[in-house]
Amino acid sequence: MAKSTGGRDGIAVMPVGEVPELAVKIVATHVAEAFQVPADVLPACELPRESLDARRLQYDAGRILGALERRAFAGYRKVVAVFSVDLFIPIFTHVFGEARQGGRIALVSLARLVRNVDGSVPSPAVGWTRAAKVALHEVGHLFDLPHCQDERCLMHFSGGVDDLDQTPLQFCRYCALILHDALSAPPAVSGRTEPAPDGP
Amino acid sequence: MEDRLSIMIVDDEMIVRESFRYWFEKSGHRVDTAASGNEALEKIQGVAFDLLFVDIKMPGMSGIELLGIVKSEYPETMVIIITAFGSIESAVKAMKLGAADYLLKPFKPEHLSLVMEKVVQQRRLDSENRYLKGRLDRITRFENIIGQSEPMEVIFQMIPEIAADEASVLLSGETGTGKELIAKAIHAKSPRANKPFIAINCGAIPDSLLESELFGHQRGAFTGAHRTRKGYLEAVSGGTLFLDEVGEISFKMQVDLLRVLEEKKICRVGESRPMDVDFRLIAATSRNLEKQISRGTFREDFFYRINVISLTIPPLRERREDIPLLVDHFLEKFSNETTKHVDRATPDALALLGRYEWPGNVRELENAVERAVVLSRGRTLDVSDFAFLQTGTAGEGEARSLIEAETNHIRKILRECDGNVTHAAAVLKINRVTLHKKIKRYGLREGAGKKEKPET
Repeated sequence: MAKSTGGRDGIAVMPVGEVPELAVKIVATHVAEAFQVPADVLPACELPRESLDARRLQYDAGRILGALERRAFAGYRKVVAVFSVDLFIPIFTHVFGEARQGGRIALVSLARLVRNVDGSVPSPAVGWTRAAKVALHEVGHLFDLPHCQDERCLMHFSGGVDDLDQTPLQFCRYCALILHDALSAPPAVSGRTEPAPDGP
Repeated sequence: MEDRLSIMIVDDEMIVRESFRYWFEKSGHRVDTAASGNEALEKIQGVAFDLLFVDIKMPGMSGIELLGIVKSEYPETMVIIITAFGSIESAVKAMKLGAADYLLKPFKPEHLSLVMEKVVQQRRLDSENRYLKGRLDRITRFENIIGQSEPMEVIFQMIPEIAADEASVLLSGETGTGKELIAKAIHAKSPRANKPFIAINCGAIPDSLLESELFGHQRGAFTGAHRTRKGYLEAVSGGTLFLDEVGEISFKMQVDLLRVLEEKKICRVGESRPMDVDFRLIAATSRNLEKQISRGTFREDFFYRINVISLTIPPLRERREDIPLLVDHFLEKFSNETTKHVDRATPDALALLGRYEWPGNVRELENAVERAVVLSRGRTLDVSDFAFLQTGTAGEGEARSLIEAETNHIRKILRECDGNVTHAAAVLKINRVTLHKKIKRYGLREGAGKKEKPET
């Protein structure tokens, strides 16, 4: 279970805009379990309107990352922001999640995870499991894990929800080892001393 | 990440460049960016890139122009064209100029992933091809022809030029100088490389059999011809026929071969229907064929037909500076072939080998190194390991073994017969073919012991 620690070196999971509470809790639980660190659910913050692309009617993941990276999130090593809206980066039609290699902020969008390829709606459990996988994959990038060629690894790139459903909820032995080393290393930056913001 | 690529993104929009950069860094690729075609070309001049993503519409040089320059100057670099304004015309143009793919922005993440899989696969195949081609070059071309002396450098330069031609080649040189290796190298470098290379030692095949070996025969053509058999001239189809010791061919066979070379047709023995043949002839001789012509034992017309391109292989004593290299090569060869780990020769040993006359040329040196390796007790060969070479300048001192006695005796008789194998065979009371085999086995040359050039 996600623990509310308020302590240092944990991972924050923060809903942005209107996001189902259960989805956020499931993501936090999996993050805490997979990375063996406390995972706190932060209060929701508002959607950054300036990141809405009026032509594409999607939210620009790059701009959101930029905005969130400027915030403090004191006491947290990494932050996972969860969205219900559809995210994109300029070269792609959409992204399920986004994070920069070795960065601090990971984004997860539920928009396309709660729909199947044929347009049908899966059970909420399927959608939340997909969200957990995307979150773990993106946090993996935050800990400098690159994409993995092993199809049975969470760090393997999944282009569609079908691929994502085939991916198990675990890292391969090789990635798990790199992750273990990264988690054992002292955090380079654990946040500024300012109070946690209430929105990006 | 097993296949780490070096990628450059060429796009005038920074946001696009950065999106690509972040994306590819997640897969462990090295990424650089350029905001224009000119900037990209400047960077390519300094660093090699595996893959370029190039936007079509850019101020100044267009992506299509950049593609054309990159593919003509750096053909190994793959280029993928990206555009937000796709058209069939630009797509066709890009593919014609050699683009690996053409993507419309924005694309689905899984689409880029598939394109990258294709690129990585292509790089692997290219890399394998280069590796295998390199191996093939080493195995079939010059690996076994060792030398850096001036005469050998000239030969190395001539091989590719000769190979590109279709004309007949005559290789002259003493026995053991490596004429067959040179012939193989010419074949391997020629457009016929993937067709057969057939070598026939004319001196080692009795004349009565040579006709049937070369032309093949019909069943029942002669006693013992129980079935129809293809001759070498037929079997070599499309490839290269190497006739070693062509000076040993009988007058009649010279006439028959001359006709084949002129008409490119043969008839199997016992059959009258001619069939087309296609081969390139490389002949070799250790004799002076011009002298044979003046004596009337070799046909002038046949000589000029086989001697369109002439290459003389120098004897080892005329390229003594290659001896240490050859010794190293043979030491490596025999160390691999035997359980002995002899990997060097002392400077004194090399000096001794450098002084020796090597009447049997490289083959004799090879035999000498093999013998020294087999008998050596250490990993270094010294002067004492080559004591068998010191029994007289030409190795004719007191023989200690039957083989040495036989070698010395053959050398002596050959000298007495002025290097003429047929006469020497008659004196030795053995078959000419048998004598040829012994000369080859012991690394002798026909004129062994003579002061002037062998065979007249």
